[in-house]
Amino acid sequence: MRLSELQVGDKAEVTGLNVDAAIRRRIMDMGLIKGTRFKVLRVAPLGDPMEIFFKGLYLTMRKSEADGIMVERSGGVGDGMPMHTGARRRYGFGGGR
Amino acid sequence: MTTSKELSIALTGNPNCGKSSLFNVLTGAHQKVGNFPGVTIEKYEGYLDYRGYRIKVVDLPGTYSLTPYSPEEIVTRKYLIEHRPDVVVNVIEGPNIERSLLLTTQLMEMEVDFLVALNMMDEVEERGMKINTRQLQKLLGCHIVPTSAKKRTGLESLLDHVIRVGTGDITIQKNKLFFRSGLEEPINEISELLAAERELAAYNSRWLAIKLLESDREVYREIQRQPAWVKAEVVMQAALKDARRLYGSDPEELISEDRHSFIRGAMKECVELPKEKRTSLTDYIDMVVLNRVLGLPVFLFVVWAVFHFTFTLGAPVMEWLSSLFSMLAVAGGRYLPDGMVRSILLDGVLAGVGGVLVFLPNIVLLFIGLSFLEASGYMARAAFVIDRVMHRFGLHGKSFIPMITGFGCSIPAIMATRTLKSRTDRLATIMIIPFMSCGAKLPVYVLLCGAFFAPSMAANILFGIYLLGIAVGLWTAWILKSTVLSSDSEPFVMELPPYRWPTLGSVVFQAKVKALMYVKKAGTLILAAVVIIWVASNYPRSAVIEADLQRSRAAVEADAGLGAAEKEDRLSALEQSAQSEQLAHSLAGRAGMLMEPVIRPLGFDWRIGIALVTGLAAKEVVVSTMATIYSLSSDTDTGDLQATLRSDPAFNRATALSLMVFVLLYLPCVAALGVMKKEVGRWKPVLLYSAYSLAVAWVLSFIAYRGALLFL
Repeated sequence: MRLSELQVGDKAEVTGLNVDAAIRRRIMDMGLIKGTRFKVLRVAPLGDPMEIFFKGLYLTMRKSEADGIMVERSGGVGDGMPMHTGARRRYGFGGGR
Repeated sequence: MTTSKELSIALTGNPNCGKSSLFNVLTGAHQKVGNFPGVTIEKYEGYLDYRGYRIKVVDLPGTYSLTPYSPEEIVTRKYLIEHRPDVVVNVIEGPNIERSLLLTTQLMEMEVDFLVALNMMDEVEERGMKINTRQLQKLLGCHIVPTSAKKRTGLESLLDHVIRVGTGDITIQKNKLFFRSGLEEPINEISELLAAERELAAYNSRWLAIKLLESDREVYREIQRQPAWVKAEVVMQAALKDARRLYGSDPEELISEDRHSFIRGAMKECVELPKEKRTSLTDYIDMVVLNRVLGLPVFLFVVWAVFHFTFTLGAPVMEWLSSLFSMLAVAGGRYLPDGMVRSILLDGVLAGVGGVLVFLPNIVLLFIGLSFLEASGYMARAAFVIDRVMHRFGLHGKSFIPMITGFGCSIPAIMATRTLKSRTDRLATIMIIPFMSCGAKLPVYVLLCGAFFAPSMAANILFGIYLLGIAVGLWTAWILKSTVLSSDSEPFVMELPPYRWPTLGSVVFQAKVKALMYVKKAGTLILAAVVIIWVASNYPRSAVIEADLQRSRAAVEADAGLGAAEKEDRLSALEQSAQSEQLAHSLAGRAGMLMEPVIRPLGFDWRIGIALVTGLAAKEVVVSTMATIYSLSSDTDTGDLQATLRSDPAFNRATALSLMVFVLLYLPCVAALGVMKKEVGRWKPVLLYSAYSLAVAWVLSFIAYRGALLFL
């Protein structure tokens, strides 16, 4: 999944960076590397740059840059509740059915 | 106390880490600002005397890392390598220590003599964070001094440590940071190979090896010329292959990951975050300021507020300045003998100095506003909110505020483009600013709209002119960014710093720096240009016209049949028509006449040509020149000039429209051109821009003129 496809409020973990060298460098320097967990905070009023939050840092990027960041979604609005479908569902709390 | 012993220190740190405040607190009044060679990044230097040492401080630009991608990082790295300051002080933002440590790891790799100033300790305590500095010192191998620039604590301790590190009393423990196996071995191997190279003695060989594996292009270029490269390359290629095989990724990414895992380890060991996570003030403010519905209105309000602060507050000061200069001219007139020297000194030079200084209030106020926005943290958010629109035209979100400032005056606006990091983004923004209709062009529109259009229509036309300026500007940006300036746009990966209340000192300091820079750098150029234009529009003077004037004046004086009032009228009429003839005779006048064939298709005659030439000194001069040409005294109100224009058969609605379009788009005033040259650094782009703006002005005025002839 790509970072640009996440919704506001989603939580995810970075799995790979397929972006240009300069942008990749910048992203890595900001601390967004493989394994970093973050939350999508908001999208700009006009819908383009998006803001994510991790390790005390508020980072913004254009969707075109977020396109190259591969992520795995690990949760959504609310909290703690794993929102995965499939195998992981078994470990969820309360979601009895 | 003697100050014979000298120490040089450099401050490094992330943007917004309080580095500049620390610099201000340390050096106080002993500061000067220059530029790093070849780039428009400001270099702040200062010194202080402490315990018998004269400590020279350089404030390096804020960076997150030391890679060669952004100009700030290149400059910082170059400075550390080439100037080798005795002590590097790594300023760390205490509350955000985890992120700040990345730069620290890179200083560790470079093995420079450094120490850490753990800044904003007051905020750290307030938040309930605990940092075990003793343990962290062991891990990093350097000393850590807790400080707070805001509360002015820890400064003496910092300086004591600086002296101890500088004199070798404390040594830095090296080799604290290791990489995973598969990387560490080739790093050691390459490092040994490079250590033998005498030409590379200035560098730390381990650092070079790490950089090579990170495929750092600058280091790569340097090493490639060395004989050791042949062997090093073999090792490197093998390492690249190994990294792919073992970890499925390239060394650059792995090295970055290792640095971050080192930092994470250090954080786990030494930093205790407060138990409960409360929503910070920044979160609350952003809920409103970056809200999907409110974000844009808040942004527009802030821009409006800055604009008004700058230009509304600046206007009375500007008026006061220009009346001061006219007072000076009057006073000077009493003491200087009549003649050419007096005329050049008072009307040319003094007016020119006034013309330079008149922009100062706006520059100072704008930069007080902008540095407030920057230091408070809103500037990055403004870029975030508006980037979508700007990006469509190839610009960056940060281009917006300079662009809007252009509606007041191009000069501070062009200077404000320094917030843009990428050279091409900056160049493109500078090139579109003069198309934003500045305040000085307004009198021209008012004159022409008032003369030829009904009030209801005039407002629409005025609005249309402003819109046309924006459209041409954005179109220009789009063309530039998709052709000559297509390379290296700044990627929009930007931190939104937490909101902080800016310190008064740093805001005022910024404004002072900009004001001095304008006066020193651009002032002389502008002064020269204004004086040249003034001379061109006053010289050569025709003796024939002068003699004619004297003769007819004598004739009027002698005419006994005239009353005193009538005589007065006749005399001033004579005076004005002589002035008009002199203007036509001057260099500027001849230039205007020479231009006539070129501007004829736009509906302009030589008189407008002259006005356009003198208008280069300042756009509002177009109006006063027209008054002179039409033989009106310079203090006539616009009503008279409007009536004169209306009765002139050469002038009609189409001409008026065409002239407004031309004034909007043609060359900016010489002051703006001068600042442009200073900011761009070279003449070529400025000259190309001038040619372009003339061409655009001509074509669009032609269309406006012909269109108006057809439809009006």
